Amino acid sequence: MEILLIPCLFALIALVVPSNFMRQFSLVGSLVSLAAACIRVSSFNSTKFEAITSEHVTNFGLTFKMGYDGMSLFMIILTNVITFLILLSNYNRELSSNRTFTSLVFFMQAALLGVFASFDGLLFYIFWELTLIPVFLIALWFGAPGNKAALMKFFIYTFVGSLAMLLSLFAIKSSAASFSHADLMAVELTAKSAYWIFGGFFIAFAIKIPLFPFHMWQPDTYTTSPMAGTMLLSALMLKMALYGMIRWMIPLAPEALAEMTYPVVLLGIIGVVYAGVLAIKQNDIKRLFAFASISHVGLIAAGAVLINHDNWTAVFIQMGNHSLVAVGLFLAADIIEQRSGKRTLSDLGGIAKVAPRFAFMFGALVLASISVPLSSGFIGEFLLLKGVFSYNWMIGVIAGTTLIVGAVYTLRAYQLSMYGAPKPAPFADLRPNEWLAFLIIMLLIVSFGVFPQSIINFVGPSVNNLIESINNTLVK
Amino acid sequence: MDALIVIFLSGLISLFVAFAKKPVYVLATASVGLVTAAVLLMNQWNTPCTLFSSYRGLDFNHSAIAYSLVAILFTFLSVLAGYKSFKEELEHTGDYVALYLFSLTGAMIMLSFTDMFMFFLGLEILSIPIYILAGTKRKDIKSSEASLKYFLMGAFATGILLFGIAWIYGATKSFNLNEIAMVINGEQNHSSLLFIGILLMMSAFLFKVGAAPFHFWSPDVYEGSPNIVTGFMASVVKLAAFGAFMKLFGMYFTGLYDFWAPALMCMAIVTMFVGNLSALTQVKFKRLLAYSSITHVGYALLTILSKDLMNEMNLLFYLFSYGFSVIALIVISMILNDEEDRLESFKGLAKRNPILGFIAVLSLLSLAGVPPLVGFFGKYLVFSSVFAQYPTLVIIAIINSGIGIYYYLKTVMTVVSKDQLAEPTVTLSVSLLQWVVLLLCAVGLLFGGCFIQYLG
Repeated sequence: MEILLIPCLFALIALVVPSNFMRQFSLVGSLVSLAAACIRVSSFNSTKFEAITSEHVTNFGLTFKMGYDGMSLFMIILTNVITFLILLSNYNRELSSNRTFTSLVFFMQAALLGVFASFDGLLFYIFWELTLIPVFLIALWFGAPGNKAALMKFFIYTFVGSLAMLLSLFAIKSSAASFSHADLMAVELTAKSAYWIFGGFFIAFAIKIPLFPFHMWQPDTYTTSPMAGTMLLSALMLKMALYGMIRWMIPLAPEALAEMTYPVVLLGIIGVVYAGVLAIKQNDIKRLFAFASISHVGLIAAGAVLINHDNWTAVFIQMGNHSLVAVGLFLAADIIEQRSGKRTLSDLGGIAKVAPRFAFMFGALVLASISVPLSSGFIGEFLLLKGVFSYNWMIGVIAGTTLIVGAVYTLRAYQLSMYGAPKPAPFADLRPNEWLAFLIIMLLIVSFGVFPQSIINFVGPSVNNLIESINNTLVK
Repeated sequence: MDALIVIFLSGLISLFVAFAKKPVYVLATASVGLVTAAVLLMNQWNTPCTLFSSYRGLDFNHSAIAYSLVAILFTFLSVLAGYKSFKEELEHTGDYVALYLFSLTGAMIMLSFTDMFMFFLGLEILSIPIYILAGTKRKDIKSSEASLKYFLMGAFATGILLFGIAWIYGATKSFNLNEIAMVINGEQNHSSLLFIGILLMMSAFLFKVGAAPFHFWSPDVYEGSPNIVTGFMASVVKLAAFGAFMKLFGMYFTGLYDFWAPALMCMAIVTMFVGNLSALTQVKFKRLLAYSSITHVGYALLTILSKDLMNEMNLLFYLFSYGFSVIALIVISMILNDEEDRLESFKGLAKRNPILGFIAVLSLLSLAGVPPLVGFFGKYLVFSSVFAQYPTLVIIAIINSGIGIYYYLKTVMTVVSKDQLAEPTVTLSVSLLQWVVLLLCAVGLLFGGCFIQYLG
């Protein structure tokens, strides 16, 4: 329980801390949460489920069941690490001493942890919706002026998607004893109702991820949000949906998988290619990374519906990798925007000459983002592509182009901004906090790239358990 | 039963206390009356009591007590919030407070009646003070319009209702609900009088709760009435009307469910869409509130359609959650005190007064049904109780929630926007009692969801 309460507590304290200490306070706050999660890891048995609340069944089915297994704990730690990185990279920005902002970030962290630790359908929905409010306010108050239309689109899209999920929850609850994960999983569905339930969840998750035809809100929202908002959206909020697919959508309605796997994989792969091609043509660096994000997560979503041990562990590796890379790339984009005042690639150039340390770190991140060996992205994408390939070799071949297209747009962005004739504007090199953030990101990426087995061992047993119980339901 | 007398007497006493020209005394009388009534009601939870031993006109059973307690709570909040404006008209403070209490008396009769005669009496006692209250901004032509419109329309609706009661009496030879239900359930071939009677009664109810296509009065009346009267109408009057509606149609007319349910279902769907689609383009705050309340009526009608055992309590919880939002918003709009009641007057509220802004955002999001606010749980209960029976109806309601988020969000955006309409120098004056009401509402909005456990 302390995992959830610590960020809540810090969110409240942040409202009264004097602004001179706010930056230090925010870092300490996120480190405390991280430490609390690490203490949980030290006593963690990866084959078991650990409850963090006492179960308490109410008369309308809500059970307050919260806890973690390997998958949840992985996401909890990821959330805490990323929150720390976001606050760290924000350290030298004006926002870092803003009370409301810091409070909202901690509030967001608490809601996200709630999503990952919920083992009760209704509780999951409540936390899921709760994440929407802080990120919306961060983007509205601290984002680019005139982003109202974009945010409106974002909020309405995701809210409507969530309503579809709520409908699915109603449908499945009508024949279950309570909302607890185990009870909902035990429901046997007819193929037809399974489609509807699967569909409702899928709409909610596809909008949040976002998958191909549901992505309209994403580029505008990413580009007009402040750096921290974009990072929260891309590095954490999106992961809720991918996690939700594995934890909720598939286990609750596995009967629909036989028919639905193909369309979901197809949508994912269309997104990979389509967003990749769009990213090549972008001139705005933040927008380019937004499309790159759609392109990368399309593959993860495709992997999430192909149930087997390798694919699902790969999904978790790739989620971790994508979060780290997203934070890094949006930090780089923000550094460029802050220092030169521009985001358009055609106006940039020659930054490598004046800011060599930045160029090195950005370059390393670009390589990680196109999944060169030794980065964790290599392991994740390799396993995912292998999974898609063995599902259907033609789709696998198309999905494989992500490696080429990804290299094209990322390297193009790097080349246009970093090399070429220097533009006369002064460009200060990395500040210590930015340097540290990049360093931590790179260290994590490389260490998981060299030793991915650590993640596989961590999430593997609970992935196996979940797959086993899904297969049991299907056999029945 | 004692509670009813206490409320009526405290209303009567506050009329006389007002002669002292000390508005505080009036407030004290009313508060003491309301609190005593609430305590008396709670004591009666285990000992149901009736009006006279030979004539069971009123029956305070569990659901009637629960509904009455919520009605007392909302009346109390309205009186507290409105005190500031009552005080300004020294000569009429007692009248205003007494009218609220009389209206509450009517509401409680409407929640506990056991025969049509008492029901009609309750409805009139509820309505007549509201007709007067709607016109209390005497210098404002809109307020007079609201009062007259509400009175004329209300009189017609009452006429239709009486007509309906008469037809039902003709068919069943009784005013007593149990006897009516016995006839409805017992006989196979009903006389056509009964069907017409039920339809007429349904129309009158739909008018009272403001459901389409009988909703035309509500935006005008909401807009013209003084703010706090609007709040009272949206919370207490709706509660009473819905309580009676649920009692008659959900419990006593169930034998003819197949006859009236399709009609009611169509009305519910139309109501949801009419309210939502009209709300999209409103620029005045109270008109927006009126149309959004029409939509909420549409959702609440679903509970009457559901055959769920818990539907009485589900409906109560829904109206409970709705009332908090409306009262909070109305109080904030009173504080902003914009002559033309523009939606724009909310602009930058979060910046001018963060706590007010926070409460406004909470109420709006609760109306939209965003968890974990109480509005979500209200919607959740309603939708989940109907789902087993009419999945399509729930899908339509959820689509409507999707449409609704647009205008709630637009208003939230206005509240939290950085630029302001008024000069920042104009400070907002909030009286102590208004703070109390707002904080109570905020607590209700944030933690009201916990009450869901105690239902049933």
